Amino acid sequence: MILVIAEQREGKLNRASWETIAAAQTMGGDIVVLVAGASTAGPAADLAAAQVKEIVTVEHAALEPYTPDAFVAGLQNAITQLSPQYILLPHTYQTRDFAPKLAARMDRSLITDVTLVKIGSSEPVFVRPMFQGKLTADVVPVGQAPHFITFQIGAFRVDAVAKGSAAAPVRALSVPVDASAIREKPEAPFQQAKQAVDLSQAERIVSVGRGIKEQANIQVAERLAEAIGAEIAASRPICDAGWLPMERQVGSSGQTVAPKLYLALGISGAIQHLVGMKGAGTIVAINKDADAPIFEVADYGIVGDLFEVVPAIIEAVKAS
Amino acid sequence: MIETLAFWTLFLAFVGAFTAQVARRVQIIRAAPDTFSLDNLPFRVKRFLIDVVMQRRTIAERPAAGLMHAFVFWGFVAFGGYTSIEFLRGLGIVDLTGTGWFAGYRIVLVPFAAAVLVGIVFLLIRRAFIRPVGLGSRVSLESLVIGLFIATLMVTFLLTFQLDEGTAPGHANWWVHMLVILAFLALIPASKHFHLVLSPITVFLKSPELGNLPNLDFEKEQVGLEAVKDLGSKMALDAFTCVECGRCQVNCPAWGAGKALNPKAIILQTQEALLGGDRETRLGAIYSNEVLWQCTTCGACENQCPVGIEHLPILIGARRGLVSNGEAPGYLGAMYNNLERRSNIWGLGYDQRTKFVQSAGLETFDPAKHDVLVWLGCAGAFDADFQKSLRSLFQILRGRGVRFGVLAKEKCNGDPAKRTGNEYMFQELATANIEDLRAAGPRKILTSCPHCVKTIGRDYRKFGYDVDIVHTSVYVEEVTRGVPLTSGAATSTASVPGDAAATAPTQRPREIVTFHDPCYLGRYGGTVDEPRALLSRFGGDIREPERNRDNPYCCGAGGGLLFADKEEEPGSRISDVRFKQLRATGANTVVTACPFCSIMLKGAQASAQAETQFVDLMTFVSSRLHTGDL
Repeated sequence: MILVIAEQREGKLNRASWETIAAAQTMGGDIVVLVAGASTAGPAADLAAAQVKEIVTVEHAALEPYTPDAFVAGLQNAITQLSPQYILLPHTYQTRDFAPKLAARMDRSLITDVTLVKIGSSEPVFVRPMFQGKLTADVVPVGQAPHFITFQIGAFRVDAVAKGSAAAPVRALSVPVDASAIREKPEAPFQQAKQAVDLSQAERIVSVGRGIKEQANIQVAERLAEAIGAEIAASRPICDAGWLPMERQVGSSGQTVAPKLYLALGISGAIQHLVGMKGAGTIVAINKDADAPIFEVADYGIVGDLFEVVPAIIEAVKAS
Repeated sequence: MIETLAFWTLFLAFVGAFTAQVARRVQIIRAAPDTFSLDNLPFRVKRFLIDVVMQRRTIAERPAAGLMHAFVFWGFVAFGGYTSIEFLRGLGIVDLTGTGWFAGYRIVLVPFAAAVLVGIVFLLIRRAFIRPVGLGSRVSLESLVIGLFIATLMVTFLLTFQLDEGTAPGHANWWVHMLVILAFLALIPASKHFHLVLSPITVFLKSPELGNLPNLDFEKEQVGLEAVKDLGSKMALDAFTCVECGRCQVNCPAWGAGKALNPKAIILQTQEALLGGDRETRLGAIYSNEVLWQCTTCGACENQCPVGIEHLPILIGARRGLVSNGEAPGYLGAMYNNLERRSNIWGLGYDQRTKFVQSAGLETFDPAKHDVLVWLGCAGAFDADFQKSLRSLFQILRGRGVRFGVLAKEKCNGDPAKRTGNEYMFQELATANIEDLRAAGPRKILTSCPHCVKTIGRDYRKFGYDVDIVHTSVYVEEVTRGVPLTSGAATSTASVPGDAAATAPTQRPREIVTFHDPCYLGRYGGTVDEPRALLSRFGGDIREPERNRDNPYCCGAGGGLLFADKEEEPGSRISDVRFKQLRATGANTVVTACPFCSIMLKGAQASAQAETQFVDLMTFVSSRLHTGDL
C-alpha cells in the first residue's frame, strides 16, 4: 500500500498534494491519502474525489500551527498503524523540514526531490536530479519498508490525477500527540511586504522592457498576459520610470522568477535581468535588435516589432 | 631669575599637558593587535618627499587652499630652529640669540613669516566665511583659535624687528609669542591639529598599495574586525591623524549620491570609539551596518587623503567581521551562493562559458603555442553583452598576429568576495585559480576586467603568485602602435608585427566621445593614458567628464553593490549620478573599459530613457580597424 501524505494549511490543500497523488497513481496498487491538522474535514472531502482506496484524517489540536515535533510524533504513530510500503510526500518546505527527521526516527530510507518513477518488472526506480540538475540519478531504496519518497513540485501534473467514480471513504485515525513534548513555538505567519506580488510562483510571465517605449503601451503586454493567463513583469527601466510597480521588477535587484514560460517583450537582456529569470523553462524573446543579448538565452526568438508580433500572438491564442 | 622660573613652570605645565595627551594616544595605538608594516621603503621615502615635503596631495585637489597650507607648513618647518632657540633662552639653558648667524636666520625667516600670514589669513577667511561643504556644517571654534594663534606668532615675530627687547612692549611681545606656542602645544593633541605631529608619520606608514587588505589567517582564527579592540595600529594612528579636511567625503560616490556613508565620519567615529575606552564595543554600534555596506571600494577616500589615512581596511575589515557573524545583506547571500555553487557571480551554468569559448574559436592556453593568456572573467564568460567586446578584442589580437589562449576553466577571481569581506570564500577561489594558473604557466595575462587585473595582479601576490597581468587597453595600445593613421589602403611598415595593412585604421570621421575611467583601472591601476591614446589614435575626440583619470567617480558596481537592492538605500543611485556627469560632457558616445561599469551605466542610461551610445573600448578600436574576414 502506498501512503500519500497531503499538505494543508488552515483547511486549504497545497496543490502539490495532488501532484503526489498523481505520482502514486503511476506506481499502481492501493493508495491511502493521509491529511493531518487541527481540522481536516474540508481537505479530506476534497481529496476523496481522487481515485484512491481511502482518505485517512489525523486530527489533533497540537498539529496546527505546524511544528516538526508534533508532525513527527503524529505521523510516526499513524504510519505504524497503517504500515504502508511507500510513503509519498510533496517536496515542499514543510516536508523538507520534517521528513528527514521522521525517516531518521523510524530508521528508514528517504529519497528526495524525485522527478520521475520508472516502473519495471521489479521494484520502482526513482529518478532525482544531482549536482544542481547537471545529472540525474536512478535511486532504489534499501532496507526495510516503508520507504519515504518526496516529489519535486511540478514533476507531476495536477490534471493527471485520476478521479474516482464515487467519493473515497474517509476514516479518522486516532493518534495521540503529546503537546508538552513540542519544543517549537511558531510565530504568527507573515509575508514580507516586498513580496506583495509573488512572481516566483507564477507559471507564466509576460515581461516588458524598454522596447515598449511608452507607459500607455503596457496595455499591449497586459492583453497578452490576460490571454495566456500570465503575470506581468518588467525590467529595471520600466519600474524606475514608475510604469509598473517596483515589485514587478525581475532581475538581480528585483525578483528571481522561474516560470514555465517567460515572454520577454522588448527586453535587451542585460545580465542583471537575465540572472533573475535564468530558471525559466521556456524563454520566448521578441526584440527589434537581432544582436540583443536576450537572444543568447531565448529558446524561441522573434526579431521584429513587438507591436506587430504581440497582437498576432493574442489573436492566435484566442483562435485556438 | 624669577622670570626664568615662571617660564619653567609654564613650560612644564603645558608640555606636561601635551605629553599626557600624546601618551594616551600612543598607548591606544600600542594596544592594537598588530604592528606597522614598512615594506617597500624606497617608495615610502619618495612618497614622503612628494606628499609631505612638497605637499602634492594637499595642493593637487584644492590648488589655492593647498598652496596656502603649504605656505603655513613650510613656514612652520622654517621656524623650528627659531622656536627652539627662543625656548633655550627662556629656560635659561643657553642664549644663542646674540650670534651673527641667528641674526641672519631671522632675516631669512621674514619672507616665510609673510607667507604664513598670507596663508593663514586666507584659510581663516575660507573656513569662517566661504565654508566649503567638506569642512562640515558648523565652523570649528578651535580651528579659528588655532588660526589666530598662528597669525599672532607671525605678527609677534615680525614685531621683534620694531620693538626693542629691553622695552616693556618688546618684552611683552616675547612673552605673548612664547605663551601662544605653549598654549598651542597643549591644544593640538585633542584636535585635528594633531596632524602637525602625526601626518608625516602616517603618510610614511600608509601602505604603498591602495586598499591593502592583508589576508586573514584562519589558522589564527582571525575573522575580521568585530569590536574596537580589533582595530589595528595603523587604523588607530589614522583616527588620531585625521585633519577633517573632508576630501574623502566630497570624493566619495556614496556620499555624492546622497547615501548615509561619509568616510570622514567613519574615521572620526573610530577616533571617538578609541578614546571612549570601551574596547569591547561592537563596530556595528559605531558605524551602523547599513553604512558599511554602501562603500563601493572605489578607493577615492583613501587615495585623496592628504594625511595618509587608509579607509578601506577599516570599512572592509568591519565587513569581514559582519560576514563572519552571518550579518551580510541578503543580496550578498545570494551572490555567495552563486560563487560557492557555480564559481561565478551570476550563478549561471558552466556550459555557457564553454559555449562562448567554442563559438569564439578560442584555444586552451599552451605556453608553447601562445604568447598570452586571456582571462575572460565572470562577465566575459557569461555576459552576452560584454562578450561582444571580447570578440572585438580577439579580432584585434588576431589581426596583430598575437597568439593567445584561455584557461579550460576559470573561477571568479574572488574580487566580489574580498571586497565584501567574505575572506574565506575569496581565499578558496584565489587558491583554486592560482593552482590552475600555475599549471597553465602563462608569462603574461590579458584581461578586459580591471577588477581581475587588481585582484590577480595584487591580491594573488599575497599567496606568492606573481604574474604579469595587464588590462587589454595597455596591451592593445602597445600592439597597435605604429599602425598607419591614414586610410585602410596604407602600406604596411616592417616594424609592426602581423599584417599591418589588415589592421590599419579605416577612414571614419572623428567622433566626439567621453571616457569613463574605471576605478580599478584609473585609480588602483594608474592606467589613464593608454585608453586615451587608443581613443585618439582611432578617431575619438575625447570630452573629459568631471572626475576622471586617477580620481574617477565610481559607476556604483564595486564592493558587491552590483547586486544591491535600490529600495533599501537612501539617496539616488551612484550610477545615475555618474551617468549625468558623463552626459554633461555633451558627447553622445560613452566609452567604457570595464564590464561592470558598462552594466551599471547602461542601466542608468536605460532608466534615464536617454539615447546615449555605449561602446566598449575594444569594440571602438576594432570597429575602426580593417580586420579582413577574421
